[in-house]
This record gives sequence, C-alpha cells and structure tokens, in this order.
Amino acid sequence: MAAGPYNYSYIFKYIIIGDMGVGKSCLLHQFTEKKFMADCPHTIGVEFGTRIIEVASQKIKLQIWDTAGQERFRAVTRSYYRGAAGALMVYDITRRSTYNHLSSWLTDARNLTNPNTVIFLIGNKCDLDAQRDVTYEEAKQFAEENGLMFLECSAKTGENVEDAFLDTAKKIYQNIQDGSLDLNAAESGVQHKPATPRNPINTDQPPNKEGCAC
Amino acid sequence: MADKEEKDSMVQASTNPLSRKLNKILETRLDNDKEMLEALKALSTFFTENNLRSRRNLRSDIEKRSLAINEEFLGAFQAVKEQLDSVYSDVQAMNECCLDMTDRLKAAKAKTHHLISQTTSLHNESQKLQVKEQVANAFLEKFQLKSDEIKILRGTRDGALHSEFFKALSRVKQIHSDCKFLLRTNHQTAGLEIMESMALHQESAYERLYRWTQNQCRQVTQDTPDVSLLLCQAMEALQDRPVLLKYSLDEFGKARRSAVVRGFIDALTRGGPGGTPRPIELHSHDPLRYVGDMLAWLHQASASEKEYLQSLLKNCTASNVQMDEVLGNITEGVCTPFKVRVEQVLVSEQDPVTLYKLDNLLKFYHHTIGQIISSEAALLTVVSEIQDLSHRMFFNSLTSHANKLLDKVELPPPDLGPTSSLTQTLQLLRDVLACHDASVVPIDDKKQDYKQILACVIDPLLQMCSMSASRLTTVDMAAYMVNCIHLMNTTLSLYEFTDTRLEMLYAQTDAHLDTLVSEQASYVLNRVGLAQMYGFIQQHRPDQGPLSSLSGLDELAIRAAMNKFDSFLAQPDSLLLPQCSLILSSSVRESAKKRSVELVCQAYKQIYASILDPVNGYKDGINIVPRTPEQVVHLLM
Repeated sequence: MAAGPYNYSYIFKYIIIGDMGVGKSCLLHQFTEKKFMADCPHTIGVEFGTRIIEVASQKIKLQIWDTAGQERFRAVTRSYYRGAAGALMVYDITRRSTYNHLSSWLTDARNLTNPNTVIFLIGNKCDLDAQRDVTYEEAKQFAEENGLMFLECSAKTGENVEDAFLDTAKKIYQNIQDGSLDLNAAESGVQHKPATPRNPINTDQPPNKEGCAC
Repeated sequence: MADKEEKDSMVQASTNPLSRKLNKILETRLDNDKEMLEALKALSTFFTENNLRSRRNLRSDIEKRSLAINEEFLGAFQAVKEQLDSVYSDVQAMNECCLDMTDRLKAAKAKTHHLISQTTSLHNESQKLQVKEQVANAFLEKFQLKSDEIKILRGTRDGALHSEFFKALSRVKQIHSDCKFLLRTNHQTAGLEIMESMALHQESAYERLYRWTQNQCRQVTQDTPDVSLLLCQAMEALQDRPVLLKYSLDEFGKARRSAVVRGFIDALTRGGPGGTPRPIELHSHDPLRYVGDMLAWLHQASASEKEYLQSLLKNCTASNVQMDEVLGNITEGVCTPFKVRVEQVLVSEQDPVTLYKLDNLLKFYHHTIGQIISSEAALLTVVSEIQDLSHRMFFNSLTSHANKLLDKVELPPPDLGPTSSLTQTLQLLRDVLACHDASVVPIDDKKQDYKQILACVIDPLLQMCSMSASRLTTVDMAAYMVNCIHLMNTTLSLYEFTDTRLEMLYAQTDAHLDTLVSEQASYVLNRVGLAQMYGFIQQHRPDQGPLSSLSGLDELAIRAAMNKFDSFLAQPDSLLLPQCSLILSSSVRESAKKRSVELVCQAYKQIYASILDPVNGYKDGINIVPRTPEQVVHLLM
C-alpha cells in the first residue's frame, strides 16, 4: 500500500496575520495549492489549510490558520494566536499603511503567542516592484531590530512563498532540536507523533491519559 | 656379341626376308624399349661370362630361372590362399553369428512389443496425471490458504497484527467469492466446503481484526492521535462488517472525545508552556475574549479532529453521515464544560452591548463551526442553545433598561431639549447598532435583529417622552416632542434597515410640528388682532349682509389691526413663540417658521380678498389693506 499523506512526525501550527488585502489567503493558497487565486474574496473570520513538508528528512504537517485582516474580525482572530508555533506576519510592499501597522500586529503576536513562536515577516506582492512603497532595506532593518525572519514574496508568481513557510518550519524544528521548544507542554503549537508504531501489546492506557475532566 | 651377329646377318639379307628382318632389327631402338632393357638388365645379372657354354646354356638357364621364379610364385600364393581361406572361414563364422543374433533380436523384439506398448500407455497416463496434478495444485493455490497465511490469520498470542494479515484476509475473501464460480460448475460440494471453511476463517479473522482495531482505537488519546497505516487498513477491511466498523469508530470517537475534553480543560486552566499563552480562564473577566477564545479553541479542535477522522477513514468509502456522527460524538464531550462557562458569563453580564456582542460572536461561531461539523452535532446544538440564551439575555437586558426608563420618567428640562436618559439610551442604541455593524453575521439576521432592537428601544423611548411631556402645555409639548423625536431620527438615520421606523418618526415629528406651526400662526394673528376678524370672515355667509356691517369688522377696527400687522411685518421675529426657537434642529426650526408664515400669509390673503370684494361694502378697501398678499409674502419669507 502506498504511504498515505498522513504519515508525519510533527504537526506545526501556523497563523497568518496582517492587514486586509495584503494577500494572506493568496499566500496560503499558493502554498497549499501552488496556484494563484486571482479574485480572492475577503476571509470571513478564519480559514485553514494543511500541507505536509519535509524538514531534515522528517515529514511535518503544517496546519495553517489564515485570519481575516478586516478590523471587525480582530477580536475573533486574536483567539487563534493561541498555540501557534509560527506566525507569518504579512504586509503589502505597495501599500505603506500595511507596513506601518506591523508594530501593532507584532504586539498582538508577541502578547498572544508563546515566547518560542517563530515570527516571520513577509513583504508580499514583490512582483509589483514598480509600485513599491516600502524598500527591502527598510523592512529588513525592521525585521532585524525585532528579531524576525524576513523575506519578500509574491503570492502571484509564487516567488519565495515556499521558502517563507519552509524556513519557518526549519526554525521551529531547530528550536525543537535545541530543546528550547518543549514539546510536552500543551499549546506549544507543535505536536509530535512517534515515528515508530506503538507496541500493540501494550493495551494499558497511555500514561498521559487523564480522566474525563468535565 | 649376339647383337653384332644378328646385325651382320641383317645387313646381308637386306633385300630378302632375312634382310628385311635385319633391317627391322636394326631399326629397333633398344634405348626406347624398356621391357627389353629390363630384360637385358636381368639377364646381365646371371649371364656373367660370355662363352659358348654359357651361350648354349642360356636358354636352359633362363628356363630354369623362370621355373624357379614360378615355383616361388606358387609358394607365395599358396600362403595367400591359405590366409584367404582362413579369412573366409572367419567371415563365414561371423555371418552365422550375425544371423543368429538377428534371429535372437527378432525374437526379443517380438517378446518386448507388449512391454513397449504398456510403457507407452503408462507414460501417457503419467503425463495426464501430471496435468491433473498441475490443475489440482492450481486449484489448491486458488482455493486453499497456505499454512503461513492461516498462521497469520490466526495471529500471534499477543494479538499483534501485521500488514500480511490484510493480504491473507483479502485472499480469504477472494477465495470465498471465487467459490461462487465453483458452485456454478459441477464442483458444488468442493465449492460449498471451501466456502464454509473460508467463512470460518473470515469470521475468526474479522473477530481478531475487530479486537485489535478496538484496542488501537482506545489508544488514540494523545493530543495528536497517531493514526497508523495499519489502523487505516483495518478500518478499510472492517468496511465489510459495518457493525464492527461502527463499533470501532465509536471506540475511536470515545477516545478522541476524552482527548478533546482534556485538551480543552488544559487550555482553559493550564495554558501554554510557562503560562504563555495564558490559560483561557485567566481572561474570564473579559467576557468577549473568554468566550471568543473558547469558541476559537473549539473551532480549531473540531477542524483537527475532522482531519484525524479523515485520515483514519482515508481508504474507506464511509458516508459523510457516518463521519458527521463520529465527529459529533467526539465534540460532544466539551459541550458541558463549555456550556457551563458561557452560561455563567451570560447570566452575570448586565451590559446589553456586551451581551449583544456575545450574541453575535456565538452566531458567528455557530456558522464557522457549522462548516466543519454537522448541524445535528451536540456541540453545534449547544452553541445554538447558548446563542439563543444570549439573544434572550440581550433583549431582556434591553427591555429592562427600557422598563427602568418608564419607571422613573424624567421631567423635560426648561430648554425643552432631550432628557439625559433619552440621550443615554440613544447612545446605548448607537453602541448596540455599531457592534452589529462590526459583527460578522449574515444580512438577514441583521434585519430581523434591527427590527427587534428598535422595537425594544424606540417604542419605550417614545412612550417615555410622551409621559414626561404629559404635564406640559400644548406648545411646550409639541416643541419637546419634536426635539426628542428628531434626535431619535438623526440617530437612526445612520443605520440600515431603519426606513419604516424613520418614516413613522417623521410622521410623528410632522404631527407635533403641525401643532406648533398652527399655534405660532394663531399667536401672530391673535397678537395683531386679526384672529377674530379672520374667524368672522371664514364663517361669514352672503345672506348675513356685507362684512362691513358686522361689529368688529368695521373699517376702523381693521385699520387698527392692519397697523399692528404692519409693525409685525417690520419685525416678524418679535412675535415668534419662544418654543419655536427652542427647537434644536435648525432645519426643523426653519420649516416650522416657514410653515407658520405660510399660514399667516394665507389668512391675510383671505382677509385682503374679502375687504376688496365690493359685496362686503368697504368703501376705501385699497387703503384699508395697503399691502397686497404678494408684498406680505415677500416681506415675511
């Protein structure tokens, strides 16, 4: 039997944040479907997508929560930061206002996620270089000052999109290897699945099983 | 020597036969005659001495030698003959021998013929048997399990399962179904027997598979379940036994349900590593965040659980109904802890705005979670119930607010402006409607909600205003009501779905404005002394005689009134009712002024026409009313 798409060792939870219309949903679509969605409707609340990637020959499933950028959903989307291992913070290089709002997004991200959450800054729409409103250097400096990873991408052409998602995963994986990310803690945004099948003889309940707490 | 003699004699007898003979001899070339040369050579070996005697004896010598040679020949051939004789006898013997052997062979052949035919038949038979054996082997291959397959199916003592199990199981199934072909042929007995044994194998295998699956399913209680390939295969195989599949799925659901509950409680009370993100319950003072976080967690958990379930059933053609059912089971466990908490929040919350926000949030999540799990699932039912509750609580809170307004009616302030309770309530309404604007629910709901909210707020407000105005004079009441209703109007006009309400409020404003306008007009007419005259003129009938004959309508009185009217015309604002200037909205104020002026002008026009009418008997009409109605309109407008 062919190996199904469900054999993976880790699940990483991502959240994509940023102003309305910066192309969050398009980035997700480009990453999961490898297609550009030309007229993408506004996201209502949150949507989610998954894809399995490979980092250091480990299969990792990314569970990506794409949030609505509209202000009216802010209260709703804030609840989804909880337990994200990676946060992709997106702005539009052709609209300065979306870049100016980054610090507010960053504050949210820092306050609402755990300290190990990898925050990746993405300057989207880099295919529209002629209409550029934010220079690469400026954003790069912002990223460095705040300890963020940074790339300019284009959800339209697909440029750097893979890299942004993969680099985030690599960083998270590295954190796991370092031991700085505690997998046993709840809501670390990373879930580990043992690669070796459990011994079927052991019919005892696993140790982490607690009684129904309700 | 002899030659010389012969030559000599030949020469002598050249013409006679002798000479011819001699010539002939002379012509003979001895060199060329090899036989002669050989003969002469042989002769020279023994004819050594050429003397008479030897010449005389030559012939006898030669004859003797010839004899001796012949004797030698005879001796030699004698030996040859003897040899040949012996060979002949040998060949003879061989021939005999061969004949004998041929005979014997013939005999032997005759004797073995039967044997050969027997062998051939045996050989054929053996070939047939071989074919049969092949057929039988093929049959066994096709219709019997190999011993190791049986062993795999029976399984090990520890109950472990390997992927070979599924191969064996599918073979059993294959054989079982192949038996149907057997039954159509004349191998019915075999077919039935094999079928029976396969059915037995199958039953025990399914039994074992079920036990194993059940066990495995019980173990998927981690935060992220480990859905092994084997388990997926097991589910796929169990599809043939829907009942067992259902039981296994139930078991899976049970395990996941407790895992979800555990995760939920952890998120509520423990939070992330080192307390970040903080436990959800830490935000219980902020109802929106508290409830929102819980709902978001449930949304994410539902999505994840659906994924796990899909991964478990990826090989199955399980119906969506079944999936929904299992998913409903899984998410059922969190219902109670969730419901208890949200109910607590709702019951203790007083603020209608917060309640309304909660209501919208619940509506939003009912929709969002409803995209993942079926509407029949307990979780969705609970969300829907809670949303109903929040809806009721919201309207309760609005109603109680309205009731409070009516319980303690504020008196209108001296400036006849809106009371503070009115402005406060309208601010509340604004807040409520604003949070609806920022909410995320579909339009239809919004319309319905707006209608209800407006009914809940505006009607009591109107009632309150009327009550508080009840002790005022007509003019004060009109101005106060115009002010209040106008404020409501301006508040509402910013929102959608308020058209009918606005229309109604406009009508009410107009009614009160009418009162005010007619009060203002009659006030003016009264003060300039035209009111009475106007009344008379309106009621006058031709049979009563000319107007000038009536008391109070004589020239003098009219002139006096016209003088006063003139001074009003010079200073129209002097006769403005104070209530009119207390109208807050300038546009309403203007319209009130305009409409009252119109009324005054209309009255003047009628008076003017009556006085100029010769029937009414005023002699100097044009001087009594020097201003034409057009001039008056021009002056007042």
